Amino acid sequence: MVGSLAQPTHLPPYFKLRKVSSKSAREREREPSLFAFAMVLLQPDPFLNELTSMYERTTERGSVWVTLKRSSMKSKAKRNKMTSAGETIEYRCLVRATDGKKTISTVLSAKDHLRFQASYATILKAHMSALKKRERRDKKKAGDGQTKQEDLKKPPKKSSS
Amino acid sequence: MVYITSWDEFVERSIQLFRADPQSSRYVMKYRHCDGKLVLKVTDNRECLKFKTDQAQDARKMEKLNNIFFTLMTRGPDVDISEVSGKEQSEVQPTKKGRGRKQ
Repeated sequence: MVGSLAQPTHLPPYFKLRKVSSKSAREREREPSLFAFAMVLLQPDPFLNELTSMYERTTERGSVWVTLKRSSMKSKAKRNKMTSAGETIEYRCLVRATDGKKTISTVLSAKDHLRFQASYATILKAHMSALKKRERRDKKKAGDGQTKQEDLKKPPKKSSS
Repeated sequence: MVYITSWDEFVERSIQLFRADPQSSRYVMKYRHCDGKLVLKVTDNRECLKFKTDQAQDARKMEKLNNIFFTLMTRGPDVDISEVSGKEQSEVQPTKKGRGRKQ
């Protein structure tokens, strides 16, 4: 069943497409997990709104993954056809976000990306508040946080002479 | 999973990795608010580079890297990214089209 469908190349392997049409409605009801893996493709602005709520929902528990990938959003066959026909393939940036349960995505073209970049940076800045601020004054205090900080700041330059 | 300790090394290698295979490379960011951890990953499904941090200053650096990747992915891997606030050091060119720069 899986092999007969053209798998989307721009998605990670766990998002395998499965044929739903061959099952009866009752069978489909019994397998809600199929729809949990549905890839929701949104416009950039609704995507940003959903992303914001995702960050807000995962403050106590959970993670947010955001993936950036270059994609033409066309299947391999179509791409090969286009290159052999001499047409230039327009590439875009695919952005995906998930909280482990729900996945959302959007596609950006060259003109969208500047505006999206700014809004995206604002969202990240607003929500990544749990990261530690720099504290260089308390160096001798007992704690791994401080020593890790020093290691990050002064990478050991053990270059072989 | 290769965790890289130096930020600059991570940036340089991940850009190289992307430029070598823009079709299959992807940049992933994972954030856990409850642990206060941020993990970045760049992979082309053959090689994988990761960077882990819990520092706010790295989040700021990551934003610049995000901009770089957005530009690379939408405009193409050969685009001159010294426009993006000069993160690339090998291509030091006078930025004529600086975003947000008033000349």
